[in-house]
Amino acid sequence: MRNRAIFLLFCAICAIAIPGCGEPAKSIVLWHAYRGREESAIELLARRYEEQHPGVTVDLLSIPFDAYSSKLGAAIPRAHGPDLFIDANERLGVYLRDGLVAPVGDALPDAEVGAYDKTSVDAVTLGGVRYAVPLTNKCLALYVNDALVKSDPKSIEEISRLRASLPDDVYPLAYEAPNSFFHAPFLYAFGGRMLDDRGRFAFQGEAAAKSIDFVRDLTLARVVPVEPDGALVTRLFASGHAATAINGPWMMSELEGTVSYHVIPLPPIEAAASSSTHGEMKPLLTVEGVMLSPTGAEREEVRAFARYLAGEDSALLRAGLGQQVVARSDVWQNDLIASDLKLKAFHDAARAAVPMPTSPAMRAAWVPANQAIVKVLRGDAKSVDALEEAAARFADAMRPQPPPPSPAPLLVALGAILLGLAFYAVRRAQNPSFRVAVRKSMPAYRYVAHAAIVIFALVIVPLAAGALASFFAGTETHPLYVGMTNYVRILTARGGPLLGHGSFYLTLLVTVLWTLANVTLHVAIGLVLGVALSRPLLRFKAIYRVLLILPWAVPSYVTALAWKGMFHRQFGAVNAILKALGAEPVSWFSHFSTAFAANVATNVWLGFPFMMVVTLGALTSIPKDVLEAAEVDGATRLQRFFKVTLPLLKPTLLPAVVLGAVWTFNMFNVVFLVSGGEPDDSTDILVSDAYRWAFTRDAQYGYAAAYAVLIFFLLLGGTRLLGKVAGSEEGIT
Amino acid sequence: MTLPHEQLSTSVSVASASSEVSAPATAPKRKLRCSVRGAKKSFGQNPILRGVDLDIEEGAFAVLVGPSGCGKSTLLRLVAGLEELDEGTIHLGERDVTHAPPRDRDVAMVFQSYALYPHLSVRENLAFGLKLRKTSDKDIDERVREASKMLSLGELLDRMPKQLSGGQKQRVAMGRAIVRRPQIFLFDEPLSNLDAALRAEVRVEIRRNHDQLRATTLYVTHDQVEAMTLADTLWVMNGGVVEQKGTPLDVYERPRSEFVAGFLGSPQMNFFDAKLEKEGDRWLAIGEGARIAIGEERFGAALTEGRTVRAGVRPHDLVRAEEGQPIAGNLHVEIIEALGFEAIAHGWLTASGPRVIARLDADEARKAKSGDSIPLAVTPGSAHLFDPKTGLALDAK
Amino acid sequence: MSNASRSERNRLEFLESGVIHALLIAAVLFALYPLLWVVSIALSPGGISTSHGALPLPTHPSLWNFHALLGKGSSARAWLFGRQLANSIIVAVATAVTAIGVAIPAAYALARFDFVGAKTGMRTLLATQMFPAVASAVPLYLLLDALHLLDSRAGLVLVYASTAVPFAIFQLRGAFLAIPVDIEEAAMVDGATRTEAFWRVVLPAARPAIAVTALYAFMSAYNEFILAATLLSRESAFTLPVVLQRYVGEHGAAWGIFAAGAIVVSLPVMALFYYAQRHLVSGLTAGGVKG
Repeated sequence: MRNRAIFLLFCAICAIAIPGCGEPAKSIVLWHAYRGREESAIELLARRYEEQHPGVTVDLLSIPFDAYSSKLGAAIPRAHGPDLFIDANERLGVYLRDGLVAPVGDALPDAEVGAYDKTSVDAVTLGGVRYAVPLTNKCLALYVNDALVKSDPKSIEEISRLRASLPDDVYPLAYEAPNSFFHAPFLYAFGGRMLDDRGRFAFQGEAAAKSIDFVRDLTLARVVPVEPDGALVTRLFASGHAATAINGPWMMSELEGTVSYHVIPLPPIEAAASSSTHGEMKPLLTVEGVMLSPTGAEREEVRAFARYLAGEDSALLRAGLGQQVVARSDVWQNDLIASDLKLKAFHDAARAAVPMPTSPAMRAAWVPANQAIVKVLRGDAKSVDALEEAAARFADAMRPQPPPPSPAPLLVALGAILLGLAFYAVRRAQNPSFRVAVRKSMPAYRYVAHAAIVIFALVIVPLAAGALASFFAGTETHPLYVGMTNYVRILTARGGPLLGHGSFYLTLLVTVLWTLANVTLHVAIGLVLGVALSRPLLRFKAIYRVLLILPWAVPSYVTALAWKGMFHRQFGAVNAILKALGAEPVSWFSHFSTAFAANVATNVWLGFPFMMVVTLGALTSIPKDVLEAAEVDGATRLQRFFKVTLPLLKPTLLPAVVLGAVWTFNMFNVVFLVSGGEPDDSTDILVSDAYRWAFTRDAQYGYAAAYAVLIFFLLLGGTRLLGKVAGSEEGIT
Repeated sequence: MTLPHEQLSTSVSVASASSEVSAPATAPKRKLRCSVRGAKKSFGQNPILRGVDLDIEEGAFAVLVGPSGCGKSTLLRLVAGLEELDEGTIHLGERDVTHAPPRDRDVAMVFQSYALYPHLSVRENLAFGLKLRKTSDKDIDERVREASKMLSLGELLDRMPKQLSGGQKQRVAMGRAIVRRPQIFLFDEPLSNLDAALRAEVRVEIRRNHDQLRATTLYVTHDQVEAMTLADTLWVMNGGVVEQKGTPLDVYERPRSEFVAGFLGSPQMNFFDAKLEKEGDRWLAIGEGARIAIGEERFGAALTEGRTVRAGVRPHDLVRAEEGQPIAGNLHVEIIEALGFEAIAHGWLTASGPRVIARLDADEARKAKSGDSIPLAVTPGSAHLFDPKTGLALDAK
Repeated sequence: MSNASRSERNRLEFLESGVIHALLIAAVLFALYPLLWVVSIALSPGGISTSHGALPLPTHPSLWNFHALLGKGSSARAWLFGRQLANSIIVAVATAVTAIGVAIPAAYALARFDFVGAKTGMRTLLATQMFPAVASAVPLYLLLDALHLLDSRAGLVLVYASTAVPFAIFQLRGAFLAIPVDIEEAAMVDGATRTEAFWRVVLPAARPAIAVTALYAFMSAYNEFILAATLLSRESAFTLPVVLQRYVGEHGAAWGIFAAGAIVVSLPVMALFYYAQRHLVSGLTAGGVKG
C-alpha cells in the first residue's frame, strides 16, 4: 500500500518534471489568436520561412482570444512574451501606454508603404510612428443570400421592404444589433461617431439617438431579429432564415457548404441622407497587423520575419488559403485573388471604412454604448436618456486618478498592526503555561509544517499582495499609490446615490439575494432528492443517482454557456417549452427578475447534486430507531421530517451549507457567462463587478482589489454571525 | 469527600510499600508481572489519578472496578502505553516501561468498541500484530488457526468487520489479543456493548480462556458482577485512588469503606445513621427506625457507647424475622419484585428514614403485598459499621 | 388489521412510490436536458442547430465536429490533441496527488492533536476560501515568475494546489475525525509505531474520503482554464479547456467543435464519477460530518 503510494507519487513527479520540449536556442516566437483557415495559413508561412532561412525556427502559439491581451500584458514586461504578435490596431493605444509594443522600424520601411492600403497604414500609425505591419483589414459588409434576394439592395430601406415578400420565419436582415461595433455603421451613416478627436465619448447627441431609433424601428417591424448574438446570426443566415446579414469576413468560413451567397459593401441608409451626408454606412475598420514586442524589435531576424509575413508572397497565401482581406493594395492586382468576389467586396468595403480609434478610451466605451443600445431596443428607455446614461458611465469608468496621497498613514497603520501582533506574541510567550502548551504541540507541528508553508506561500502571500494592491490605482505596470481612495469611492458609491446603478450597496443586495436564493434551492432540492433516494426498496436507485450527479461531472463553463443558449428569447429551448405549454415567451435577459431567475436556475442546476450527495451521506448517519420512535409517538411523515430528520441532519449539513454559501457568494462563472450582468449590469454580483473593474473598465486593478477585500470582510463577518446563530462556530470550521 | 480519599490513598500505599519491603524477605511464590508505582496523571487541570499502586502477579486475573470517572480506564491505558504518566513508574516483568511506547511493551488490548480494522478481514485483523512483528507466515497461520478454534471463529475468517454481529466482533477482538501471546492482556470494558444474555456467555468464555491460558490479565469494568465473577484480585477504584484490593469475596465481605460497601453488591447495601448503644451484653446500632445487632468480636475497641456511626446491612442479610428473633425494624412495603426463587421488597422503616431493601423468600413474597408491614431481622454478624466522617470501616483488623 | 385497511394501505404506498418516481424522473430530466443540448450541438455539423423546438435533436447528425476537433485527419494535429489531453490529465492528477499529499498529515494533526494554533489555523483556512480569486491571480503570476515556473506544468500544479490544499485539509480532517481513535491505539498496542498505525490503519480506513477529495482536486484542476490560459505559453503545454476556449473567439464561435470538445473533456471525469459514485456518498459524509 505504502509502496504503491510512493510509486504513484514518483510517477507524478516525473510526469510534471519532464519538460514538454527543450527550449530552442534562438527561435522566433509569434503569438496569435487565429483558428481555422487563418491558422493554417500562418502555420504554412512559418514553415516556409524556416525552409528559406535555415537555422531560424519559428514558434507559433495560438492563444484563446479571451486571454490574449491580458496574457500579453503579463508576459511581455517580464520577458516571457513573444517576439512578435498579431493583434488589432485598436489595442495599440493601450499597448503603447503599457510599453508592450515598439516601432516596427525596417519591418515596414518607408519605401514599402505604398504597397499597402493607405487607410490600413494610417490605422497603425500613432504620432507619425508605425507600430504594426498591417496584415489584414477586417470590417463589416453585407452578406446576401442568392436565393432569397434577387438584386443587390441599394439601401437598408430596400432590405426592410423585403419583409412583405419573405416568409414569416425569414428575417430580411440579421446582425448583432446590441453590439456597438455592429451599430457603428448606422451611427456613422447618421453623422455620429464613437469617440471625438480628443478621445472623449462621442456616442451621444442627435445623430446617435436617431441611429438607435432607426434600428429600434427595424426590430419592431421584424426586419431585424431581437437581440441576436454572433452565433445566432450565423445560424440564421446559414439556414436560410435571413435574407441578408451584416458581418465580417470571419463568417465566411462558417458558411462553407451551407447557402449560396455573395458579399457587397454596406448600402446606405436613405433616411440618414441629409445635406451633410449621403447616409453612407461606414463600418469600423480593424487592421490586424504584426506588432513587435520591445525585445523582439531589437532582433533583426524578427523584423525580417515580420516583413515576410506582411510581404507580397505571404499576402497571396493568406488571401488564398487563409481567406484574409489582406491589407496590400498590390496583391489585389493579382487575378487569382481579385477573382474571389467575396474577398474583394470586403476589401472594397474597407476602403470606405473608418479606422478604429486607437485610444485606450475605446476599451471603456464599448460596454456603456452596448447597454444604451440594448435599453432602447428593449423599449426600456428613450434613446436620449439611454445615451446620456452611457456617457455618464463612460466618465465614471474613465475618471481621472486622484492625486497620490502620502503613504505615511498606511505605513503607520501597518506598523501599528505589526507592533500590536508582536506585543501580543511576546506577552503570550512569557506565560509559562503557554510555553508548556507550545512544547507539547511540537509533535503536531511536524505534521502541519509543510502544509502551513505551502498555504502561506501559495495562498496567504498572494492574497495579502492582492489586498495591498487595493491601495493602488493605475495599471499593473505603472501603479500609483492612492491610499484609501478606492475604499472611499466604493463605500460612497462613487458620489452617486447609495442604491444607484452600479453602487456597491445595490450590488451587495443583489449578491445577498443571489446567495440566499441559490443556497435555499440547493438545500431544498438536495434534501428532497436525497430523502427520496434514500428510501429503502426504491427501484432504479443506482440509475437515478448516476444521472442526477451528471451536472456535477461536466465542466461548468460548458454547461453555463448551454444554459445561456437555452434562455435565448427567440431560439432558446426554455421559451420553446413555454410555447409548447401555451405560455407567452419571455425575454429572459431584459428584466432583472427574469435574468436573475435564469442565473439562479443555472446555478441551482450546477449545485444541487453536491447537496444531494451530502444529504444522502448525512441520512445514513441518522439512526433508524429515532425515526421509528417518532412514528410510534404519533408524528406524521412531515412532522418526522421536520422535527426529527432535519434537526439531526443539521450538524452534518451546516458546514456544507456554509461553505456552499461562501462559494455561491463568489460564484463568478455563472453570472458572467449566463446573464453577463444583463440587463444593464443589474444582475452582477460583487465578484463579477470586481472582475469588470479589473478587466473591462480601463483595467482598474486596485479598485477591483478593494472590492475583493470588502467581499472578504463581509463573508468573514457573515459566517461568524451565521455560526453564532446556527450554533457553535466549531460546527462550521 | 476528598479528605477520606487522601487518607485512604496514603494508607493503601503504606500497605503496599510495606509488602514491597517485605517481598524479598518472604520470597513470593509468584513474581510480579505488572507493577505500577505512585501513578499520577492529570488531563489539563483535572487530576485523574492521584497516586496509584497496582501489582499483578504472573498468571493472575486482576479486575479494576469503579464508577465512571474513577480513573480505571486511564490506569489501563497507562499500562498499555497509550497515555504517559505525569509521575510514577510502570514495570512489566523486570522491565521499566514507564516511557516505552506501546509496541515495546508486549501487551495486547481488547477495546470497548473492539477497534477492529475496518479495511481488513477477520483473518487479517488477527494477523495484523504478528505481521508487524515480522512473524513468519507459517507461525501466523498456526496461531490464527489456534485462536480461531478456541473462539470458534472458523467461518468468520474471511468476512469483513462490518459483516459481523456484536458478539462476533467481540470474539475477533479477543482473538486478536490471544494470537499475540503477550506478557499481559488488557481488557477495557469489553462486554459493555453486548446484550445481557451474550454478556453472561462471553464472561464465562473469558474466564475459561484465562483458565486455559493462565495469561496475566488486567480487566477494567464498571460492572460489579463481571468484577466479582472474573477477578482473582479485585481493585476497587474511586476518585483517582485505589480504595481497596483483595479477593472478590474478601472485598465483598469486608469492605474497607462505605464507598466500597455500597458499590459492590446488588441490590445495594442499606445504610442507616445510627448511634451505638449497649443493651445488656449486646451492642446495637440504633437510628432511623432500625435496631441492628452488632458482632462485638469484629469491631472490638471501636465500639463505644453513644458513638455515631453509619450502619450497613446488605439486603440479603435483612430478612423476615422468625418467631423470637430480635426485630431490627418493621418494613413498610412499597413494592415487591418477585425474582422467582426469592423476592426483593422495597420500602422504609420510618417515614423520615432512608429507603430500605430486604430479601423475602418466594413463599413470603406471594403473601406479601404493597402496604404490608413486615418485621425484619438482621443475619447475626452481618452488619458493617463505618465512620460517618471518614467513611472508613470500623473493623478491628 | 382488516383486509380493507390493508389494501388501503397498499394503495397509499403504491401511490407514494409513484409520486417519488415521478419526482425523480422530473429531476433527471432537469439534470439531463442541458447536457442533451450540448450533445445535440456537438452532433450538428457546423454547430448550427436549426431545430427551434424544445427537443434537443441534432440537425443532419454527423461526427464532423469531432473530426474537426481532432484536426481533420491531420495526424500532427491529432497527436497534439492527444498530448493536450495528456497534459490535462497529468496536471489534474498531479494536483490531486499534491493536494492530498500535503493535506493528509496536516489534516491528521488537526483531527488528532490538540495544539497551540490549531483553531487559528482552521479559521485561517476557512477565511482563505472567502477571498475572491480575482485579486490573487496577478500576485500568483509574479510568484511563479520568480520561481521560474511560468509556462510549466509544475507551475500550474502549484497554482491549482493553492486552492485544492485548503479544501482537502477541510475534507480530510473531517474524515479523520470520523475514524475512531481506538483502531489507531489498537494498532499501536499491536506493535505499530504511530507512523505505522497511520499508514496501515488510518489511511486505509479513510480511503473513501481520500478518493473523493482527490476527485475534487482532480476536477477543479481539470476544468480550470482562466489561469491555465494566462500561465501557459506553448501549444504543446496547453490543457484541454484552454484549447476549447480557442473555439470561442472574438467574432462568433465554433460552437459545434466547442461542444464536441466539451464532451471529450467530460468523458474521463464522468468515468471517474461513475467509478467513484459508491464512495462519493460515504466519502463526503466522512468529510462533512462533525466538522
